[in-house]
Amino acid sequence: MNVRRCVFSLLLLIATELLAIAEVNADETLTLGVFAYRPDHVLQERYQPLADHLSRETGIRIRLEVLNQENMSRAIAANRLDLFLTNPSHFLLIRSERSLTGVLATLVRRSGESSTASLGGVIFTRAGRNDIEHLADVRDKTIASPGVHFLGGYQTQVLELLDAGIDIRRVNLIRFLGTHDRVVRSVLSGDADVGFIRTSILEQLAQTDPDLFTRVKVLNRQRLAGFPYVVSTRLYPEWPLVALPHVNERAVRRIASALFAIEPEDDVALAVGIAGFSPPADYQSVEYLARTLRVPPYDQVPQLTWVDALHQYRLWVFTILILVMLLVATSLWLGRSKRQLASEQRRLRQLIRSWPQAALLIQGGLFSDTNRASVDLLRYTSSESLIGKDLAVFSPEYQPDGQISRQKLAPMLARVSEGQVEQCEWVLNRSDGTEVWVELTMAPVHTEDEPEALILCSLYDITRRKRAEQRQRLAASVFEYAREAIFITDNHGIVIDANDAYLAITGRPRNRAIGRLPPLPVDEGTGIFASARSQGFWSGEFASIRNDGEPITLAVTLSSVRSDHGEISHFVGIFSDISRLKEQERKLRVMAHYDALTGLPNRVLFADRLQQAMALTRRQSGKLAVVYIDLDEFKPVNDAFGHEAGDQLLVEIATRMRAELREEDTLARLGGDEFAAIVMNVQDDASLESLLVRLLARVAEPVWVADHSVEVSASIGYTLFPQVGDLDGDQLLRQADQAMYQAKHEGRNRYVRFAEPFA
Amino acid sequence: MQRREFFGFSIAAGLSAAGLPGCSDSGPLKFGIHPWIGYEPLYLADDFNWLPETVALVPGTSAKDSMEGLLSGTLEGAALTLDETIRVWSRGLELVVVAVADVSAGADALMVKPSITELADLKGQRIAVELDGVSGVMLFKILEVAGLGPSDVIKVDLPVSQHAQAWSRGDVDASVCYEPTASLIENAGGVRLFDSSDIPETIFDLLVVTRKAADRNSRAVRDLIIGHLTGLRHLVRSMHDSVYRIATRQGISPDEVRAALASVMLPDLAANQRYLRAAGPIETMADSLSRLMLAEGMIDRNPGIERLSDPSFLPTRVP
Repeated sequence: MNVRRCVFSLLLLIATELLAIAEVNADETLTLGVFAYRPDHVLQERYQPLADHLSRETGIRIRLEVLNQENMSRAIAANRLDLFLTNPSHFLLIRSERSLTGVLATLVRRSGESSTASLGGVIFTRAGRNDIEHLADVRDKTIASPGVHFLGGYQTQVLELLDAGIDIRRVNLIRFLGTHDRVVRSVLSGDADVGFIRTSILEQLAQTDPDLFTRVKVLNRQRLAGFPYVVSTRLYPEWPLVALPHVNERAVRRIASALFAIEPEDDVALAVGIAGFSPPADYQSVEYLARTLRVPPYDQVPQLTWVDALHQYRLWVFTILILVMLLVATSLWLGRSKRQLASEQRRLRQLIRSWPQAALLIQGGLFSDTNRASVDLLRYTSSESLIGKDLAVFSPEYQPDGQISRQKLAPMLARVSEGQVEQCEWVLNRSDGTEVWVELTMAPVHTEDEPEALILCSLYDITRRKRAEQRQRLAASVFEYAREAIFITDNHGIVIDANDAYLAITGRPRNRAIGRLPPLPVDEGTGIFASARSQGFWSGEFASIRNDGEPITLAVTLSSVRSDHGEISHFVGIFSDISRLKEQERKLRVMAHYDALTGLPNRVLFADRLQQAMALTRRQSGKLAVVYIDLDEFKPVNDAFGHEAGDQLLVEIATRMRAELREEDTLARLGGDEFAAIVMNVQDDASLESLLVRLLARVAEPVWVADHSVEVSASIGYTLFPQVGDLDGDQLLRQADQAMYQAKHEGRNRYVRFAEPFA
Repeated sequence: MQRREFFGFSIAAGLSAAGLPGCSDSGPLKFGIHPWIGYEPLYLADDFNWLPETVALVPGTSAKDSMEGLLSGTLEGAALTLDETIRVWSRGLELVVVAVADVSAGADALMVKPSITELADLKGQRIAVELDGVSGVMLFKILEVAGLGPSDVIKVDLPVSQHAQAWSRGDVDASVCYEPTASLIENAGGVRLFDSSDIPETIFDLLVVTRKAADRNSRAVRDLIIGHLTGLRHLVRSMHDSVYRIATRQGISPDEVRAALASVMLPDLAANQRYLRAAGPIETMADSLSRLMLAEGMIDRNPGIERLSDPSFLPTRVP
């Protein structure tokens, strides 16, 4: 059958194309498919007259086939149908699946005397259902419907209810029963609460069941003047009669003309129950319905592009975008702030941890955090040794000011907790037992809303400074208390500081000491600074005058002080008063060289002077004489008048002899009543002898001692220098001594020249 | 949709919180309307609840009700013909044409006895006319075309709704009327000698609002026009449904509705843009009509219309 039809169709197609106006084959057969919206036999009966009428009018055999929607679609896909009559929704579905030539005509239905080319939907329930009066009551009710692709039996009602705010496809149980008749039966039997059928069904059924309308109740009934049926929804065009593309044009024309020729009064129209066919209606309202409900063929959600969405929701998109941007910006800002905060904290912690000065956090009086420097300061290995303990643990029992450490600390912590900053010097014990001086600073670092006080405690090691201070104090006390005068000058020698000893020795008040030159040696003056500058120091003794005019002798050491750059910045001088020492020295010297009784040089000095006189005489090629004088008869005087008288005699005699001698001559007392003289520049024997004579004469003059006049004489021996041989002083004196003994021998009170003994 | 409303509400709340008066708090726009095929889209929109709360239709029986309502201040807008609009203007109320509902293309007609076969035959005949309405303007246009003076005919001033009875009583020989009266007279043996399709783009049916409403309640005006265009779309797209609804309201048959629809042009959004533009067809015709009406004594003074139509309320598309 199929093969036959295909071959036939093919032949037909060829014939149509070859002959523009082809005679229609007499035994050509076209199949008219009619959608079985009601039981097959009802439709078969109803539409057979139409098929017969068309066959008659067109000369083409029209075969009627009643099909449900599925079968009709399948038959169309297999090209088994040439014409079909179905509801508009089904038509749209078929049209979307294959291109059709379009609608030949739209059915015009008849109801009694009136007719309509419109259809709609009926929503009904049983007459007794008082709980269902309005569309709103349909919610939650069981619904019977012939099927999804039924325009009047499903889609129109869905749209109407959707407009009333009820999407029955979501909330209701819907039974799809295939045909309208079953829907009516289902509702009447109570299987379903509400039925959906198309217009005209109730009227058709009422023909055989006259009291049907008393048993049903139509909801949302539309009052539409001139519309012959009860209806619950808006109206749409009636069924289209469609020719498939393969049907030849001539046949289509004939069929169309036959369809339009049907008048309402014609038998065929009456038999089929129609008023005829009208020109094709505009089915876009059905399309709109299908699109709105998203039923096939418009069930696919159109691809919504970004642009569409953007266009539709631009306000929202814009708002959300702004919000998102704000959110992102806020997040970024927060994140950055957090990172900044974290890095700042890290930096701060790093700063405190690595800060070379010891820092500790005190919380509740105990260390809660420490840095490396504090651990090192106290010579521990880790901060664990410090944390949890208080400062007093690391302090000696007493602070240097005598206070007990713990008692001193408590009020300080209390004051800092109240917001003050405390600073003091403190001594701490290190782990190795040594002491360390620190400058202790405690400052509150807690904010007002923090209940517990947080105190930052920093320790600054001042041990070295303390030691320096001690040294300085010591140095200052040396300066203050030294018996020696100490002064400091600037590099020009002007005194800028001096100690009390300086003032005492120099006799100057402080205001006349500072800002002036220190005592200087008369001969060198400020030259000593130049020496100290070049040598590094100058030291010497010199005579000076006290402020009150008293002479003093000073022993001064002057040192230059160099600055860090190596330049001389100051001079430091130390001196002591050595006047008394000098006096002592002088006295000692006199005692060593002079005779204490007569004040004449003694033997030691005489020897020295003789040595010098000999050297001088040798140099001048002159002559000198060494004279040895011994008093005659001195012992009886001493014995008779006492030692004191003897001493007076000696002093008188020495004075007389001294007066006879010249300045350059030397008279010495060699001991007892023995004197010696050096006579310089002896010109000749005569002058010498006359001197000796004068000496004898002066000695021989009476002396008044112890209320007595005493007379003594002297024996004098002398010798001359130079002589033939090389003689020293001792030998000369011995010659003179020998000569004196000769004089004694010869009878005293005379002078004898030394003569070589004859051998 | 709910969200949109919520958003609108929140913006309005924000504005009112900021002390700024919202634009939409002046109550709904009261819009006068009376049965006419061109105004059916608005009725349809009302039936299907497509008009938002900002617009309240005030149904009347004739244009007279709407004009009086406008002048007394009870209405802020109305569906009027162009000449009616000019009449209201001339009485001192400034109006703005915001949409063209329809352009008569045969809806207004001159019905005559079969014995009258050409316009010249009208001389000396009794013609039923509603001088205060569009019928009057139509008559003068007819006389203009016929080359007759106003005094050449006997004017029987009657409301159009009474023309059919007057005709059946034989009181008049001709009637200047419009649908459905024209169809009634035609059924009673009248002959359509002349209709508005002979004078295209002359008789406009408009949606007008007062200048005050246009300035103060522009959102409602936009809603009104969107409602009209939505109804119009249903009318065109679902003609099968609309004809029955119109027939029901007007008390005529669906076929008569189809006939009536054939006698008017229903301009869509694009056509409205064209009609309403400055110095466009509406303003041009308003100018010439004003002069005619002043000349014929239908208005007392020239309304001095400078700017009548305003296309700014038209939406960019129908949602």
